[in-house]
Amino acid sequence: MDPLSPVLTGYGVWNPLAWLVAFIAAAIVVYLLWNRGESSCRKGTEFGRPYLSGNAEPDKGAVHIRASNLYWGYLQALKTYYDAIVPVHTGVLTDYMVWFVAVTALLLVIIGGLP
Amino acid sequence: MKLTKSFNRSLWVFHLNTGSCNGCEIEIVATIAPRYDPERFGMRLVGSPKHADVLLVTGPVTKKMAQKVRRVYEQVPDPKLVMCIGTCGQSGGVFYDSYNLDGPIDQVLPVDVYVPGCPPRPEAIIFGVVKALEKLERLEAAQ
Repeated sequence: MDPLSPVLTGYGVWNPLAWLVAFIAAAIVVYLLWNRGESSCRKGTEFGRPYLSGNAEPDKGAVHIRASNLYWGYLQALKTYYDAIVPVHTGVLTDYMVWFVAVTALLLVIIGGLP
Repeated sequence: MKLTKSFNRSLWVFHLNTGSCNGCEIEIVATIAPRYDPERFGMRLVGSPKHADVLLVTGPVTKKMAQKVRRVYEQVPDPKLVMCIGTCGQSGGVFYDSYNLDGPIDQVLPVDVYVPGCPPRPEAIIFGVVKALEKLERLEAAQ
């Protein structure tokens, strides 16, 4: 089998030559962009750092926006619920077993109609 | 310092206040307003030193600002010019003997053009820009 011929997989086409051409075209575009860049750029100096009104760039960790920040409004809207439910999650297994047994007993009473 | 062709067509300016009383800023705003309109020559204020050819410095350089001034200067790409607007940057002006100065500006940065005045009129600032262009032409001729 010719290694450069297209392979029909039944779901699509795999052609090594087409991928090679696409890779070379992408590499040429990248080279042209890089070549037109500012040649006097000095990496590792202030020139390579963001402009923050002249202030030093803080550590990445200090300005990182945590994922929980995205849910701030959601958590705030359900604050009453979370205030009640979070302390219950103690992380202690026996607490969870007590809850499990208690809820099961309650369900048996409600559904099973035990006296 | 090798000048690019774009330098001949336009000078993009980044303004930095190092402790000025705002008098010079008012005159800079008057300079860029429609009455004088330097933008018709391609000169405009930009919001980041990384886009600038000229660093326009006002104020006497307070101690707190000195490091920031050096940092912003480093962030302006080469080739670049530094213009000092106003008397404070030249000598400290009315703050000349203040305990709180690291300036005047030539103690912190190499200055190419001084525009004296407290504050300088827009005509003087434009004259300073012309002097900067003349310096650029001399540099270009020397290349």
